[in-house]
Amino acid sequence: MERGKVKLSRRQFLQATAATGVLIGSVGATGFAKKAIGKGEAALPDIKTIRTTCSPNCTGACGMNALVEDNEIKAIVQAADYPDPEYNPRGCLKGLSMMNLVYGPDRLQTPLIQKGKAGVDELKKSTWDEALDFTARRLKEISDKYGPESIGVMFQVGGTGYVHKGAVSRLATLAGWNIHHAYDQNGDLPMFWPMTFGVQTEELEPSEWVNSRYIAIFGSNIMATRLPDAHFLVEARNRGAKIAVFDPNFSPTAAKADEWIPITGSSDAAVALGIAKIILEEKLYNETFIKTYTDMPLLVRIDNGKRLKADEVQGLIRPEDIPTYREAYVAYNGQFIAVHPEKLDLTLDVVLEGEVDVHLKSGEIVKAKPAFQLLKESLIKYTPDEVEKESGMKKDALVRIAREMATIKPLHIVYGASNYQWYHGDLKGRALALINVLTGNLGEAGAGISTYAGQYRIRLKVAQWWVPEGRKQNWLPWLYVLNGPTKTMKAKYPEHGIKALIVGWGNPFDQHNMSNILRERVQSGELEFVATMDFQMTTSCQYSHAVLPGVTWYEKTDLVASPVHPYLQLQQPAIKPVFEGKPELWIMKELAKRLNPEFEKYFYPELDPDQASEEAIKLMLKTGGSTVEGITLEQLKKGPVRLKSEVPGNRQIPFYEQIQHKRAFPPESLPAKLEQTAQFIKSGRIEFYKDEDIFLRAGEALPVHKPPFVESEYALNPQAREKYSFTFVTRNAIYRVHSTHSNNIWMNELQEGKPHIWLNPADATEKGIKDGDEVEIYNDHGKVTAFAVIDPGAGRKVAVFEEGWWSRYLKGASYNSLTYPFIKPTHEVYFVPGMWAPNTAWNECLCDVRKVGNAQ
Amino acid sequence: MRMGMVIDLDKCIGCRTCTVACKSHNAQPPGTWWNRVFTPGSSYHQAAVGKDGYLQMNFLPVSCQMCDNAPCEKVCPVGATYTDERGVVLVNYDRCIGCRYCIAACPYNVRQFNWEDPKKVKERAGYKEGYDYGYPADVRDKDGQLVYTPNRPQGVVEKCTFCFQYTSQGEKPACVRSCPSKARIFGDLDDPDSEVSRLIRDRQAFRLKEELGTQPKVFYLQASKPNR
Repeated sequence: MERGKVKLSRRQFLQATAATGVLIGSVGATGFAKKAIGKGEAALPDIKTIRTTCSPNCTGACGMNALVEDNEIKAIVQAADYPDPEYNPRGCLKGLSMMNLVYGPDRLQTPLIQKGKAGVDELKKSTWDEALDFTARRLKEISDKYGPESIGVMFQVGGTGYVHKGAVSRLATLAGWNIHHAYDQNGDLPMFWPMTFGVQTEELEPSEWVNSRYIAIFGSNIMATRLPDAHFLVEARNRGAKIAVFDPNFSPTAAKADEWIPITGSSDAAVALGIAKIILEEKLYNETFIKTYTDMPLLVRIDNGKRLKADEVQGLIRPEDIPTYREAYVAYNGQFIAVHPEKLDLTLDVVLEGEVDVHLKSGEIVKAKPAFQLLKESLIKYTPDEVEKESGMKKDALVRIAREMATIKPLHIVYGASNYQWYHGDLKGRALALINVLTGNLGEAGAGISTYAGQYRIRLKVAQWWVPEGRKQNWLPWLYVLNGPTKTMKAKYPEHGIKALIVGWGNPFDQHNMSNILRERVQSGELEFVATMDFQMTTSCQYSHAVLPGVTWYEKTDLVASPVHPYLQLQQPAIKPVFEGKPELWIMKELAKRLNPEFEKYFYPELDPDQASEEAIKLMLKTGGSTVEGITLEQLKKGPVRLKSEVPGNRQIPFYEQIQHKRAFPPESLPAKLEQTAQFIKSGRIEFYKDEDIFLRAGEALPVHKPPFVESEYALNPQAREKYSFTFVTRNAIYRVHSTHSNNIWMNELQEGKPHIWLNPADATEKGIKDGDEVEIYNDHGKVTAFAVIDPGAGRKVAVFEEGWWSRYLKGASYNSLTYPFIKPTHEVYFVPGMWAPNTAWNECLCDVRKVGNAQ
Repeated sequence: MRMGMVIDLDKCIGCRTCTVACKSHNAQPPGTWWNRVFTPGSSYHQAAVGKDGYLQMNFLPVSCQMCDNAPCEKVCPVGATYTDERGVVLVNYDRCIGCRYCIAACPYNVRQFNWEDPKKVKERAGYKEGYDYGYPADVRDKDGQLVYTPNRPQGVVEKCTFCFQYTSQGEKPACVRSCPSKARIFGDLDDPDSEVSRLIRDRQAFRLKEELGTQPKVFYLQASKPNR
């Protein structure tokens, strides 16, 4: 061994990892060997560094450097090149071990075709031409027979790759297929957002956490699910912010907090409303704020529960300059005032309490009360005693914490997905948002409410790429595919249902609720054709008729943004596609031309996939609107670029414009048009009173606490109340991003290579279960087996499973076979894909547990 | 120069990113981990410790403690384990005879033995044919001793080298670079102005099994306990 050479090569390796800013975009060009020779030294090994963006569906969107020798990724290290140094280094154990998937045993090598029975017979290797011809032929046949809307398309998820995911949308739009939006499919859409604020979702960027002085976390395990940003929470605490964690389970996040408040599952609305009651009683609310920005002063008719409209009232005229998706309501200050929905300039002498008689134009006289008065009345029952009964939270703690939350500012509430993925997740969110809004904690540094789940966010206008020529798209919420149509649905259910599926970056036959039903539909022939694009051989591939091998974010060019942090970034090819994998844009192009020769021209047929991707990025940057104004591909090749916002310094502070500059709610939620989302809150204000009939019928005009299971599991099967006393909660582990990395050999070594079920010691003793025992978790819908971890931090009567395990580790069962596709009627009031749509309530799931071998 | 490391347990969130960075950059085969993160007192990582609501959960990363008075070095019959001029305890893989005395002597249980040819272990894991990961070249110290090679031979003992391949060039170890919480700090303990020296002075640093007199160069900072 020649030592000089080795030393040099080490230095090169290091330089390569350190000098990302210089090297980005120089893919394949800057040979360190050449550089070294230039210095007159020898040249081994030849290592290149290519910066890409780690892009599973985790919201991290972490810049990573691949260290590449001979077209092979040798190691990965965080790029740590964010211009705001506090974001460095972003990246976690999964991202750093991605080689295990890129080169792992499950990597797809060639296209595959099912010539026999899907899900039963073995898939056969094929050429790309065979697989594409076959797929196109079957899709055409099904489209001809049942209509193109009988073909369902799902991809996970938009923000993780605007180019290739956009290519799927592009073809689906051209072909007229139905798209299933991932955000509601995954249950990640927190419905309180559109109901209360008229937006899809909004989130404070993590660097703002250190500006908070009180952080109340309701069922979010930031220390496990937001690994690149978790440090901001510890820093916030060390700078003096109080961290209170409300969670049935003592989580790593609870362990770092100042205070852990264990409450029973899905009782958060009771706690929040108990806090709101104290805030109201002790007059700790910000009166100016609620009069200016909310519907609290707006009058509600007592006779029908509807908000009083200006054009109903004698002597009032509906202002003429109001768009059709808005409405002018009425407030009272001794006189009736028509409240302009686009101006937050209501006089501050309006009343919040009491009752008035209103003379209507019809001649009727009706009684009306401000929404605030109704709220106050509705909160009467949430006494500290009652809240303790519902939630287990001690009443003196409730009073103390209510006063803390009302007075220590800025307050940030984090409402975790595991907590809102329940049937009444919307009510809990509305109740929690009430605390922020009553106290005026919104639209400024460190203040607000955030959810942080799913890389759903479309942060620039993508229509030019995703929706060719502004054509109409068909969307169908996934729950209808499982549940069938409902009478109240606003989305259009296809005449023949869904007869074929095109799946990308997802594993619905393993991970989605009732995946067992999906498998049966394929095996029975009800689902006539399934094509799956993936880079690995997943369960869904096994149930497909055609498997089209895609590539990872180390093998293609794409554009990425996350809802969590504000950086726009590129995926850049570090290596050539492994085996016969192809970038998905190429797969779409090839499929497109086979479906209809007219379609090919929409996919840059004259360019190779990376060149075509660059063209798509340029197109999106050019037409992307204000958030990407002035940002170029060349800039992005040099490193991450902060998206533009209306907040000084381009910070990500939701509702800054609304609060600081009194602009009507809601801000725009891309890709929807304002008129689509503004209809959710017609008053142009933050709405806590919802007067659509479905809300009124449900008794949910105002946020209320409803106990779990009553309208779901017990309604489905009254016997469930007796039979199943455990809640089946599926949380995220540090070892997976949903099902990605389920087969990562190192991740599995770190967790004994097997799935676990976390149980409270008292429950385990009652059930005769010991640490390490194999346990069956079951209900009427399905069952799954896992190995017991007896955790004194686990709540009583909770069976905590860490989601994402492929069924190959679960004796072939899907852990989500226990769940059920409940559709909550209030989620059907409007339909805007991924913004107001019925969505999955994973944790609204009852079960029982028993030691394997102990039949009951 | 005495290189040492400070691990801030207040910042450590137990995410195990460091263990994975260590494993990949040092080409450890399946089953081998130079660097681990535990939840002390718990049988399973990230399960709580305690009962009746009086709970805690702390995390403890453990790799070679780089002892100034290293028992592993003392018991090595062939001088394969040695301390270099920067205070880093290393194994010369050419010289190790695989007697495993050092494994028995190490009070921290951080040494790993190659029972099998690591290439075979990787092959069994099913990686793409011919694929190998990790820093891809041999590294020798100034005296020519082999202190890093991507696949250590069957029958030798291996452990953390403070990423010799990087730190000998003035860079940081992979675990330090990769920690998303910046909980690990690497530096010269002989330099009173270095960050490690300052933290050890200011933050009541402690060492593992101090009572054994091994004098580790890895220091820990207490997880701060807010008033509950």
